[in-house]
Amino acid sequence: MSLPWELRRRGLKDSLRHDQRVKEAIKQNLRDLISEEAIITSDGNKRVKIPLRYLDQYRFKYGQPQQGVGQGEGHPGDVIGRQPGQGDGSQPGDGQPGDQPGEHTYEVEITLEELTQMMLEDLALPWMEEKPERQVTSTTHRYTDVRRKGSLANLDKRRTLMNNLRRNAARGQPEVRDFHDDDLRFKVWDVHKETHSNAAVYMLMDCSGSMTTGKKYVAKSFFFWMVRFLRMKYQRVETVFIAHDVNAQIVPEQEFFTLSSAGGTCCSSAYQLAGEHLEQHHPARSWNTYLFHFSDGDNWPSDNAVCKELVEALLAQCSMVGYGEIRYDSESSFYGWISQNTTAPSSLQSVFNQITHERLLSVTISNKEEVYQALQKFLQPREDSHV
Amino acid sequence: MFETRLAEIETLAREQGLDFFSTSFEVVPQDIMTEIAAYGLPTRARHWSYGKVYQSQRLYGTMGLSKIYEIVLNNDPSMAFLLDSNPDIANLLVAAHVFGHVDFFKNNVMFAPTNRNMINDAVTHAMRIDGYIERYGLDTVEHLMDIGFALDRHIDPHAGVNRQPYPERRVVEKEHPTQPYADLFDKPTPSITYEVEGEAFPPHPERDLLWFLTTYAPLDTWQRDVLHIIREESHYFYPQFLTKIMNEGWASYWHAELFHQYSGVNPDEMLEFATLHASVVNPGGRYSINPYFLGYTLLVDIEKRWDQMHQDGASELTGRQKLFEVRRTEDDISFLRNYLTIEMVEKLQLFSYGNQNANPAKPRSDQSQEIVITSRERDEVVETLLTPRYNYGVPQIVVKDVVKNELYLEHLNRNVSFLDRRYAQETLAYIAELWKHPVHILTHDEQSQEVYLVAEA
Repeated sequence: MSLPWELRRRGLKDSLRHDQRVKEAIKQNLRDLISEEAIITSDGNKRVKIPLRYLDQYRFKYGQPQQGVGQGEGHPGDVIGRQPGQGDGSQPGDGQPGDQPGEHTYEVEITLEELTQMMLEDLALPWMEEKPERQVTSTTHRYTDVRRKGSLANLDKRRTLMNNLRRNAARGQPEVRDFHDDDLRFKVWDVHKETHSNAAVYMLMDCSGSMTTGKKYVAKSFFFWMVRFLRMKYQRVETVFIAHDVNAQIVPEQEFFTLSSAGGTCCSSAYQLAGEHLEQHHPARSWNTYLFHFSDGDNWPSDNAVCKELVEALLAQCSMVGYGEIRYDSESSFYGWISQNTTAPSSLQSVFNQITHERLLSVTISNKEEVYQALQKFLQPREDSHV
Repeated sequence: MFETRLAEIETLAREQGLDFFSTSFEVVPQDIMTEIAAYGLPTRARHWSYGKVYQSQRLYGTMGLSKIYEIVLNNDPSMAFLLDSNPDIANLLVAAHVFGHVDFFKNNVMFAPTNRNMINDAVTHAMRIDGYIERYGLDTVEHLMDIGFALDRHIDPHAGVNRQPYPERRVVEKEHPTQPYADLFDKPTPSITYEVEGEAFPPHPERDLLWFLTTYAPLDTWQRDVLHIIREESHYFYPQFLTKIMNEGWASYWHAELFHQYSGVNPDEMLEFATLHASVVNPGGRYSINPYFLGYTLLVDIEKRWDQMHQDGASELTGRQKLFEVRRTEDDISFLRNYLTIEMVEKLQLFSYGNQNANPAKPRSDQSQEIVITSRERDEVVETLLTPRYNYGVPQIVVKDVVKNELYLEHLNRNVSFLDRRYAQETLAYIAELWKHPVHILTHDEQSQEVYLVAEA
């Protein structure tokens, strides 16, 4: 029996299709994945496992593991094994390869890099300006030339067709036929160096006692993806991590993500420190500076006026200031007096509301999933509107 | 060399009374083997789920964790695949095994209604579906196939593949004899009543969900065709599901039997054969029994018992004759009920087991479960073995009623177990998508209370 070509070897085609559906499933789940603990606590290079309910093949099935028949010693009532919790009905022991594949929740493994790529590919640091000094470079690949030799994967189909047509037309038969090696044209790429202006990113996090584990987790996941994003997109971006309660200090990256602290809140300390550091290391004439601050907004009331002044000063220096306020209350803290009404702007946000500046962006996050929106808002590619 | 021996074994098999379709063998590399096994047929309509199976099977194969020795297709003529990396002796064993399978396909009564031209028909199915993909897009067709596969085991094997729609509403004449067997005594004076037929819709609880939806849901012609293809292929595979234990037992019995009588192997090869045979019919693990082993052991036992009875004059049939009768008439359910005796349950040390919560105070979701031996009684063991074999291995769901265009399903034998709620809800949504009106199902919740689940269109 001779089989039409397109019907042969479908396994490969369908497994590619399956891979494609896995990717789609991941994209649909980004909102949830971005706050997935397993990913954020992984060591960075590890492959992460993502459960994909989207790829389940639904059918009517029984909800609890059914009984089975085994063999060997034992009396009725004897315990012969144990299944861990959250049993999904998987049979213990070796057993037969089931005749119903894919009955379990499907998990895929993916590298963190791929995941970051998918999540953050459309984002960019906004308001990037050309600065005269020190260029940050990144490399891209671009098709720049066409040649007669090359790999078939890079075949330039349009030019190849045109050449064939031209050659045949020259012989008086203007139609596409009889391909010859001379017709083939291949695209050739070059490594292209793209120069960016210098950029520095300041990440400020409130570590006071009122920042519960849940809130801190939100802030950390934001900064985690922020850092991943910067590393992926811009090869040489300087990062500065500042943690503060009443006092602020510059901490190494590692510590920033593991830090826990207690105490009151005095945001001005962080702005002060950031301002000083900025002036010294990243002056506005040669740097695009971005400053992101996450806090629950419960600032020491007398400190608010100072904050306002400092932020206004920072705005003059920075390309952008982003402020995220976390109203996430997974565990009711005993600092109950602080967050009595969660709908009204809290002290710090109300202060920032008085400042009207295009480059002061603020978001409110009330659950884990909104981290994704915050990233989207802060990193929206924006053109310069007033130069 | 191999071909000669293959022909000799075929001749031997026919001499022994095996009656099989002519069978062609094809020797293929592992990768092709994996691919055919993933699809179930050499060429079949494409779907991403086959890709998923193929991918993981291929990985296992490359890692040397699993090896597919044999694929044989129920078709006339039959077609079998052998692995090119196997030694000759392994492939000869497989060939002998294959003759057993094909004899079973041809003669077992459950296989009588199957399509013996499925290899070719599946190709035309694949081409038709490729055409729909071209016209309506991969996503659309794939999604419809997702729905079809969700319901593909809800068929009615007795009603067959090609069914007529329910009768239209009409009045029928029914004769009622005045007394039983009146016609025998030449007194044909029946009373006649008139009954209305086709009033209820469906006229009886309908278990062939796929047929019902294909026939009565508001679908396009091509959509009906896709669902019909899935249903037809599901019908084709049903007898194989229903006779797994017997079929494998029968094939294993015959490869052993043929090699006992075949003289064309040298002692080294015989040793290799014995090793391979032992691994094919290995008993299995503590928690599960190898169906090859169970089927093989029971058949050997039947032969021994009937030979004894024949000798004692208690049976006209010899052991071998009895075996041929069994292979013609039984399926796994009747086979185990009739021939898994108390003695065999004891000899094989079989028991049934079930789960029990280790700590009933905790919620069910994070319970660790203890596996406990529940019984060693023969009936209990047999029924536990049979439970997953009823109704194509899925819960029994029927179409009960249609009220104001809304579809009412009922889960029968609800006391067996409750449905997985999330899966049921999603499957219901699939049905509603076809039906285009709300769909309800009557089932049990986890506390065995009756509950209706609904999916909006």
